[in-house]
Amino acid sequence: MRARLCIVLICLSAVLFSGCQSSRKIETAQIIENVTISEKEGQTLYTFYILSSADTPLKTEIPAESFEQACELAQNQYIPNITLSKLELLMIEESLIDRVLKTDIEYISTQPSFSPSAFVTLCDRKTLEKFAESTREQDIIEEQLILLKKNNPAVNINYLSVFNHFETKKTSEFLVGTVSFDGELKIGEKKDIKNEK
Amino acid sequence: MSKVRFSSKRLLLTLMLCACSVILLQNYDISQNSSFVFNLLCMLCGLAVCFALFVPSIIIKKRTNLDFLTVAHTVTPKLKIPIAVLYSLYFVWAAEFFLLPYTDMFSKKYYSDVTPCLIALILLSACVYAALKGVNVITRFGIFLFVFALLTNILMFGGSTGTLDFELYGFEISGNLNDFIQNTVYFIIPAFIVTLFACLSGKTKNFRLRQPLFALLVTGVKYGLIMFFIWFSLGDYASKQEYQTFILARAARIGFFGGIESLYLALATMSVFMIISLVLCAVTKSAGRESDIKYVVIFAVIIFAAHMCGSYLNSVKEIFTNNYIFAVFTVITAAVIPSMYIFAGRKSNARKALHSINMS
Repeated sequence: MRARLCIVLICLSAVLFSGCQSSRKIETAQIIENVTISEKEGQTLYTFYILSSADTPLKTEIPAESFEQACELAQNQYIPNITLSKLELLMIEESLIDRVLKTDIEYISTQPSFSPSAFVTLCDRKTLEKFAESTREQDIIEEQLILLKKNNPAVNINYLSVFNHFETKKTSEFLVGTVSFDGELKIGEKKDIKNEK
Repeated sequence: MSKVRFSSKRLLLTLMLCACSVILLQNYDISQNSSFVFNLLCMLCGLAVCFALFVPSIIIKKRTNLDFLTVAHTVTPKLKIPIAVLYSLYFVWAAEFFLLPYTDMFSKKYYSDVTPCLIALILLSACVYAALKGVNVITRFGIFLFVFALLTNILMFGGSTGTLDFELYGFEISGNLNDFIQNTVYFIIPAFIVTLFACLSGKTKNFRLRQPLFALLVTGVKYGLIMFFIWFSLGDYASKQEYQTFILARAARIGFFGGIESLYLALATMSVFMIISLVLCAVTKSAGRESDIKYVVIFAVIIFAAHMCGSYLNSVKEIFTNNYIFAVFTVITAAVIPSMYIFAGRKSNARKALHSINMS
């Protein structure tokens, strides 16, 4: 009797598991590894870097007002099978700090799909150009950010801690990591991020 | 079913893991306005109440070396059906109380394409099999789960130490009466293990008072650690996200390896599996047919039907997952009714009945 019941339950589960057929398969999913935010002709440009084995990064540029809008546009028009849960690095051009940093970090921090330990850093234009040329740069930047955090624990390198600094009433200014390119990649810290409540 | 008695330590270890799992499914149950130290004080109050609720079951176990249901059926045979109905209702409720948040968390945080009912069905199928094997076998699985839980917790806490922030979040005490009530009621929920103990401890041997004390102590330490890391490692970020312990596991980072939410989910799955398996054992025992296949399947179907109602009707879900209702229900089944039997045990006819059980 028990064996029969087990067989019935296994068969039932097998039939119901076919519901997974509608799920997004790993072969067709376009996994976003990094996002850079830059300025082009006065417009904010969100560049989504898709995970691939190629040496040159596979990217999609989306002009948008905010990260939220960029994600919607990516989903509906540019990258239908987009997966953002593996986003590892968000790089923001320094000139856009006031325009996007707080709003985009707030959006990311209230969404369930993003990893809270993903890195966030500021950078200059040359770094973004270099970043678009080779896939090696991402690993270098992440390693350097971890080292920076070890050397100076006050620096905020992921958007969990950046978000907490924006939310708290205790501090008015805080540090975030910065990346610059002057022949080679250099990692530093920016001190004057203002927490305006 | 086997008549062999197994160690009481093993049952209490399993119940301890069940109690620990309450905080794994925590979702805005602890007030967002109160501070860490305040929450810790509420936890101590809640667990003190839990221990107080343990007292009647401990007395019954010490006096008769039997579980409460056997004593109740023997002392008051006329009340067999009302007691069975009340405890069956409680255990079905308890199953929903854990199953609904678990399936909700699974579909919201981990795999949104799957329907909650499908997860519930698969989990219940496994629980039916476990319930047929009996409490003894489930408690053996508890030993494995204890080791797995230890590993997961070490990784989760170890991976979160790097992001502790004592500058932004301190040890101040802040909170009001409403926060205190909300938090304390939440921390009384682990007392559901008292009801399970009252119903399932009949086949255990070598029971000692220190066993439930140790179980509650470890539960308190785990709750304290999780609250500590959520407060100091996640901070305000946690208050913007559902299922904060899941976020803690996701944020844990060890070197370049980040996110152990899969381990956390495995731990939560096994904990809920164990709770529902024990509940199925207890509910069939309360109905007088322990591990009878027909009764196990019937109650599993009832739990699944109630889960479907809870999944599709938000008002039903709110009732099933309401901490206040569940806490009151737990107090009644864990302490009030067993206490009545302790006082009834003083009467001569009840004493004779208990004496005859002991003799047999």
